[in-house]
Amino acid sequence: MPAAPEPRGMVAIDLTDVTKTYGGVTALQGVDLTVESGEVFGFLGPNGAGKSTTIDILLDHARPTAGQARVLGMDAQSETVAVRERTGVLPERFGPLGEMTGRQHVEFTIEAKDANDDPDAIMERTGIAHAADRPASGYSKGMTQRLMLGMALVDDPDLLILDEPTTGLDPNGARQMREIVHEEADRGATVFFSSHILEQVEAVCDRVGILDQGTLVAVDSIDGLREAAGTTGEMAVTLDAIPEGLIADIEAIDGVSSARTDGDSVIAGCENPAKGEVVRVTQQAGATVENIETSEASLEDLFAAYTGGA
Amino acid sequence: MSTLAVAKKDFQDALRSRALWGLSVLFILLSLFIAYAFAEFTTEMGIEEQTAEGLAYFLASQIGLFVSVTAIVIAYKAIAGERESGSIKILLSLPHTRRDVLLGKVLGRSATLAVPTLIGLAAGAALGSVLMGEFAVVALGALLAMSLLFVVTYISIVVGLSALTGSTSRASMLTIGYFLVFEFLWGAVSFGVVWLMNGFSLPSEMPNWVFLVNQVPPSAAFTTGLTALMPGDIPAATDPDFQAFYATPWLGLVILAFWLVVPLAIGYWRFSKADI
Repeated sequence: MPAAPEPRGMVAIDLTDVTKTYGGVTALQGVDLTVESGEVFGFLGPNGAGKSTTIDILLDHARPTAGQARVLGMDAQSETVAVRERTGVLPERFGPLGEMTGRQHVEFTIEAKDANDDPDAIMERTGIAHAADRPASGYSKGMTQRLMLGMALVDDPDLLILDEPTTGLDPNGARQMREIVHEEADRGATVFFSSHILEQVEAVCDRVGILDQGTLVAVDSIDGLREAAGTTGEMAVTLDAIPEGLIADIEAIDGVSSARTDGDSVIAGCENPAKGEVVRVTQQAGATVENIETSEASLEDLFAAYTGGA
Repeated sequence: MSTLAVAKKDFQDALRSRALWGLSVLFILLSLFIAYAFAEFTTEMGIEEQTAEGLAYFLASQIGLFVSVTAIVIAYKAIAGERESGSIKILLSLPHTRRDVLLGKVLGRSATLAVPTLIGLAAGAALGSVLMGEFAVVALGALLAMSLLFVVTYISIVVGLSALTGSTSRASMLTIGYFLVFEFLWGAVSFGVVWLMNGFSLPSEMPNWVFLVNQVPPSAAFTTGLTALMPGDIPAATDPDFQAFYATPWLGLVILAFWLVVPLAIGYWRFSKADI
């Protein structure tokens, strides 16, 4: 019984005060989250932050201790099958595949979803057409990931849930994964993309939520996150020699959060506008600047800024 | 529909089990040997009359052990193993319910075990019938039908136990524990029940109701149930010789029905509420 298609502009994922405890351990604490239909949403957090628990609740693999989860306008716990009919999933930490070939796995999904996709076209799209007739149990990690992505794409789902999808993929595979995410978003699908790697999420997502120790600490665009956190990462200034007292001078600059030496380099954690001042202070101290490298805020920096753990 | 899809996948996966093939070859050879021995050495074994019904009982004698051990080997991980490895998340990310998965496992593994069981019995029956020059369709048909029911029942018990836990080591303890208590040690359990009911001493004569207790193990229920389906008046060793509402070989079928449904229902109840 196919559910009625959902009008655009509706909410794809809606978590209301979701809490999940296992025994005495709290995995999620009062999470409120709304993902709009058609959005590419990045779900960021270190390993163990509760990302997979959240996805488990969306798919009814785990039941919330308190709160409510709605997916595509349906209750995640009571309308499970209807949710899964319209959702494509690439789970994390799934076990070994069965003895069926790759193509049979895709066919199994097509049958389960009552879809009419062409298994070969799907495997072509995710780059494992050459291995279609081999038992999936012999696939490498990357090939398994490509097969699972293919299975998630069956029946053009309204919602794609990708849990750490780039695990085991080489850079080329990760790029193809991003292209497919873009294509799916262009088609109108909502994509919920979890990762612990900021760059993965940055490249594809409209908005990002940061989960830390079971609590949603921020939901914003990546630029918005950077701005709000006021941190843009590190700059490394390589000098011919490091003058005495330089570190203290740099630390005194407004907008610099930290400064240390690393060989002939000074590493400063600072906001963008302060970077020029760091270089100026260095030159004033009589050192010759040989090289400057800057890096944008890492996920760790963002976490630190949001969780006060700097 | 969903159940059948899961069953089909499960059947294909389970066929790769080497232990299954080893036990199956052993069982088929054993069946052939039993049929040959029954047809050729009847007198030496002290059997008065060589009949096709007798052949069926003789073949059935090996079913209890083969089916129970093989069912545990191929099915104790059915749910627990998939939960432990995370494979179940693949199945349950598709529009399958947990009930589909559980029933699909029962069907898939039943088919896996039914194939060698039925081939072994059919081969033994064919060889014995040819050697004896007598072919009893009804008796051998009853044996095959009863064996099929027994296979599904045992798989259902083991899958039900497997659904109670997400750990394969706990699942192996549960299923082996079940086998020890309900098959291997049941004679002692039965004695213990009589001893308890008789005020902590053994009576000089066993009460009639011990027949009921003795039918509790699935393999005993299988043997008793088989006599209900068998044509003719061969008095089986297990036939009750007293009057009571339960003193009928049909009791075996009732007990098998209990084992078919109850452990699986309990397993489903736990599995449907579990976080996987």
